[in-house]
Formats: sequence, structure tokens, C-alpha cells
Amino acid sequence: MALIVNILITAAIVGLAFWQIVKVVRKSKQGKCAACDYKCAAKKMSLTAKRRPS
Amino acid sequence: MTTVALFGNPNTGKTTLFNRLTDSYAYMGNWSGVTVEKKVGVIKNTNFAIVDLPGIYSLNPLTKDEAVATNFLLTEDQNIIVDVANASQLKRNLLLSIELLEYGKPTIIALNMIDSLRKMGISYNQHVLAKAFDCTVLMTNARGNKGTQELKQEILTEDPCLPPTNFDLPYPSSIQQAIKQAVEGLTTEYNFNPRYAKWLAIQFMNGNDAVLSFVEAQELKPLLDQAPYYRAQHFEDKIYQARLGFIEATLKTAREAGADPRVRDITAKIDRVVTHPVLGLPIFVGIFFLMFKITFDWIGTPLSNLLDAFVSGPLSSTADHWLVAVGALPFLRSLIVNGLISGVGGVLVFMPQIFALFACISILEDSGYMARAALVMDKLMSKVGLNGKAFIPLIIGFGCNVPGIMAARTIEQPKERLITSLISPYMSCSARLPIYSLFVAAFFAKNQAVIVLSLYFLGIVVALVLAKIYQKVFHSESESVFMIELPEYHLPQPAIIWHGTWDKGKGFIHKAGTVIFGGTVLIWLLSYFGPSGIANNIGDSFTALIGQFFLPIFIPIGLVSWQAISAMLTGILAKETIGATLMVLYHTSGRTVLVASLAHMFTPLSAYSFLVFILLYIPCFATIAVIKAETGSWKWAAYSVVSSLIIAYFVAVLIFQGGLLLGFH
Repeated sequence: MALIVNILITAAIVGLAFWQIVKVVRKSKQGKCAACDYKCAAKKMSLTAKRRPS
Repeated sequence: MTTVALFGNPNTGKTTLFNRLTDSYAYMGNWSGVTVEKKVGVIKNTNFAIVDLPGIYSLNPLTKDEAVATNFLLTEDQNIIVDVANASQLKRNLLLSIELLEYGKPTIIALNMIDSLRKMGISYNQHVLAKAFDCTVLMTNARGNKGTQELKQEILTEDPCLPPTNFDLPYPSSIQQAIKQAVEGLTTEYNFNPRYAKWLAIQFMNGNDAVLSFVEAQELKPLLDQAPYYRAQHFEDKIYQARLGFIEATLKTAREAGADPRVRDITAKIDRVVTHPVLGLPIFVGIFFLMFKITFDWIGTPLSNLLDAFVSGPLSSTADHWLVAVGALPFLRSLIVNGLISGVGGVLVFMPQIFALFACISILEDSGYMARAALVMDKLMSKVGLNGKAFIPLIIGFGCNVPGIMAARTIEQPKERLITSLISPYMSCSARLPIYSLFVAAFFAKNQAVIVLSLYFLGIVVALVLAKIYQKVFHSESESVFMIELPEYHLPQPAIIWHGTWDKGKGFIHKAGTVIFGGTVLIWLLSYFGPSGIANNIGDSFTALIGQFFLPIFIPIGLVSWQAISAMLTGILAKETIGATLMVLYHTSGRTVLVASLAHMFTPLSAYSFLVFILLYIPCFATIAVIKAETGSWKWAAYSVVSSLIIAYFVAVLIFQGGLLLGFH
């Protein structure tokens, strides 16, 4: 019994881990990153900076 | 419905004013063909609709986004124009005002941010300006909600049926003559309104691309036939000079001796130093050095040590005892203690460094320094065929390469955009921090900040050298100069700093629960099992086999441990997992034990070349995917992987072998 419970828990952790990897890979393919969806000042600056022909 | 079009330079507080004038958005969407938001609002209880147009410096568009404003004048109907001008940058802002006044619709100039001007001890006579520009001039401060009610009243009382403004700028006689001829042709042959015909002619002479397309589409011969003459006579330059001369003369007349500037113009004083042609760059380097001092020496590492002591001590042992007590079998205990706690916990202990660095970046952003950094780098960037604008995606890349590459979208030239996307992964992103922290603490305890600084700048140098090579290969020449608004400096607000830090740092915690967790379990599985089942000795595991297989290739860069190779492989999933993998492979959750193990495997020189390799080698999976998405081809993504691997190997060999020759070890 104890062995089954141990195996089940281990399988659950491993399964969850693989699911997370699959999710991250899928998300990456869409060009998204798990870490960064913040709008920092630099990001805003990149939108407002302009260039003039010299 | 009366339409009020809101024009203005970028960063003049136009949107704030829009929000003050309107009570709710009546419509929000995109302008066709571009990603710019189209906002239309209604002044409450009236039939006045306000259209917020994209910020522009002139009606001559440089980008598709900017063309929205000019096309609005060319093709859509509007009754009143409100021109929002930054009061402290009047000389430049009024250039746009002149173009709008020449359009001939009833126009109101709102001198916004009037407080900034007063701080400088300058004031202008409103009536002199109104007379010179033949329109209503109002002083506003949209942030402080001053003057906005007056502006609202002025808009409501402005009768669109009134004769339009009769502003007439005294252009040189050759231009006046040409305008006269063009207007005659346009009014008689095409039935144009004289005022509109005049505006069209001036814009055409001024080389406005959007107007040029319009004129070509409509086949307006009076203008098209004269185009070579206008160009030969340099009308564009003459028009600009005439406008500038008029503005300077007007401002001189309108300027009043303001009260003594109580608040000295600190911004200008600081800028004289930090954007200095010679001092600018060393200051930029110095600020980064200070940032790493705070991150590694003063705040980050000491806090991280406390956290590490907790994770490797009480947390690990309590978890282990508890697992034994509840009857967990050895493999589950190993998974939780040696896998999860060591790996995920081992990476999470670097949270203080990550948060300290993000706090420093947030302070720089909020203080207004970031725009100066881009300006300082502009000179260096122009030498490699890029300009300061391309540096902004690189700065973002210090946080994470993915949004960095996405930010390269804003670069108009396709070749420059591609180059920026390709060099972005060499920026040292925050995911590399945990492994830097681990190694600098182990091998360079006294020079942590200097070593990390050198890695960051090595990344920049490699990126710039590559940009130069790509410039030669792609024949990309930057034909534009960089322009950026330099916001006033202000003391960073604690609430904003905290918000910025948390916004950036929460991604790291989120990754710990997703990709680092996944990577850790994967590496635990590969290290727990081998070809013959459960590996009693980690040296017989799959991880060891894979690592040992690649090890000979890495001997020239000083690597003698297969664990480091395996760690680099998992690093492709996410760079944070490199540290987690080492923790799992050395079966430790404690940094002290790991550092002792590493000391047998690395010398300071090989540790440094390993860090250099990690800095430059294959970008993480998310970055590869975003390169594919942004360049539209797997070819560039594959190129990025292969080229970065070769470059990393080459530079690491150079450092290790060169270091040996110089007598380092």
C-alpha cells in the first residue's frame, strides 16, 4: 500500500513537471516568456523614441 | 457632431489632457493598418467628439504610425484643432503648430506643462503669442488639472462656422511666388478650397511623404510638374529656416522676465555631466558597477546567504525527517529533498540578488536616467550601423531577452531590426544571475561586482562587434539620427520602485514554479536512473553519460566536470535551471557544500571561462522561439543557435587559453 502511495505521489510530481515543460514550450512558440509581461519604462521608451533623417 | 482633433509632440501630456477633457471613451480601437490606438472621447453633455492622434514632431511622417495624423488631416473631417505643446520645449513644439495653423481650421494652442516652464524661471506673454499665431493660446497643466476647464470652455465656445485662422508665415518671396502659382492651379483646375490648396502646396514643397502619396494618387499636376523645381531650389530647407526664424523672433518678443528661478534647473545641470561626450560612458559604466555592488556585495548576497542557510539547513532536514516519519520511500525522499528542495529552492535563494538588481533598474527608470543611457550609447551604436534606439531593446534584454527582442519591433529599418534581434540574446539577462552569483561567491568573493560587470560588458562588446559584422554583410547604413525625450529628473518614488521591482521580479518566482520545477524534476529523473535502471552511483546515470559524451569538446575551455555540461544542456530550457541542475547533481541544497565541490572542479580561470560560455551560448528556448516569431523564419532562429554556440566556444577558449598563457590559473 505504502509503495503504491509513494509511486502515485512521485508520478504526480513527475507528471506535473512534464506538463509544466510542455506548457512553457507551447507558450514559447507563441513568442511569450514566462517571466516578462511587464511594461517597464524602457519598454515604453522604445515606443516613444523617434528618429529623424539626418 | 463637432470633431476636435488633438495634435501634439510625443510626451506633451496630450493623453492626460484628453482624459481630462473627455469623461469616457466613446470609441477605442486601432487606426487601420497600424498598431496605434485610436481614441475618440466625448465632452460630457455635448456633441463635441475629441480624437486623440498619435504624438508627432511634424506632419511629415517617418513611420506608418505617424502617418495616421497627417492622413487624418488629408482624408477626414475635423472642425477644431487643439495643438498641445510642451511649454518648456516651445521652439520645437511650435514647428508643428505652424503646420497645423496653415491648415486653416480654427486652432487652439494649449501650452501644457506650464509648471515646468515656470520652474525654469521663464514665462511667455500669452497675448503676444496669440497675436503672432493668430489663434487662441491657453496655458494648461493637465497633470495638475489646471487650465483644463478653461480649455474645455474655449473648445465649446469656438464656433466651427467662424472663418478659419488667417495665420500667414512670411516665407521667402521665391516660395511665396511658387505657393501662389500652385494655389491658382489647384483652385481653378481642381476646385480646391484656397486655404487647403495652400496648405497642401506648402506640405508638398516641404517633402511630406503622406502628402506626396496623396498628390500622386489624385494626380495634382500643378504640384507634380513643379516638384523638380521645388527640390532644386531647396524649398524644404528654406521653409524650415523660415519657420524656425519666425518662432525664435516670436518667442523673443513674447518672453517675459519671469520671477527668479527658485528651483534651479537641476535637470540641465545633471545632464551636462551625465550626457557629456567624454564622461557619459564612464558614468554609465560606473552606475552599472554600483548596481552590481548593491546586488552582490552589499544587499543581495548577504540576504541570499541567510535564505540559503534556511533552505539547506532547517527546511531540508525538517522535510527529510518528516518524509521519513510519514513513510516516504527513498526515491520519493530523493525527489523532494535532492530534487525539488535542492533545485527549486536552490534557485529561489537567489531571489535577493534578482530583486536587488530589479530595484536598481527601477530606480534608474523612475529617475529618468534610462533615456540618457540610450543617448550616451547612441554614439557607440552609430559606429556599428545602429543607433540609440536599438539600445533600448538591449537594455530591456538585461531583464529578459524575450521582451527585448520584441521591443526591436519599434525599429523601422528591417535590416536594423534584424540585427538588433540577432544581437539581443548576448545581453546578460537576469536568468543568468543565479549562476553568476554562485560562481562569483565561490571563486571571486572579493571582486564579485567587477566580475559580473565584466560579463555584462563582454555581452555588450560581443553584441556590438557582431552588429558591425552584420552591418558590413547586410550593407545596412543607419541614415537617421536618434531622438529621444529626456524627461526631467526626479527623486524616485518608493511606491513606484516597489511596483516596478515586483512587476519584474514576480516573473522569477513564477518561473520557479513552472520551468525551473519542470527542469529540476527532469534532471533528477535523468540522474536517478541510468541505462541499467536505478543508478546507485550518479556516475552511471543518464545525465553523467550525456555530460561525459560532450566533455572532451569542452576541455579547451577548462571544463573537467560532466556536471557542468549537463547543467548547460538544461540551461537551454531556462538559464536559471543551470544552478538548479548543479544543486541536484551534487546532491546538495546548501551553497557551502556546492561551493566546496566546485572548488575541486574549477579554477578561477576555468570558472570565468565557464561563465563567459554561459553568457554567450545558445539562447533559452523562449528566446529562440521569439527570434523565429519576430524574424518570421526558423532559419534565423537556427542561425542564432549555431552562431551563438560557435561564438561562445571561441571566446571561452580564447579567455581560458589566453589566461593560461598569461600565467593565470
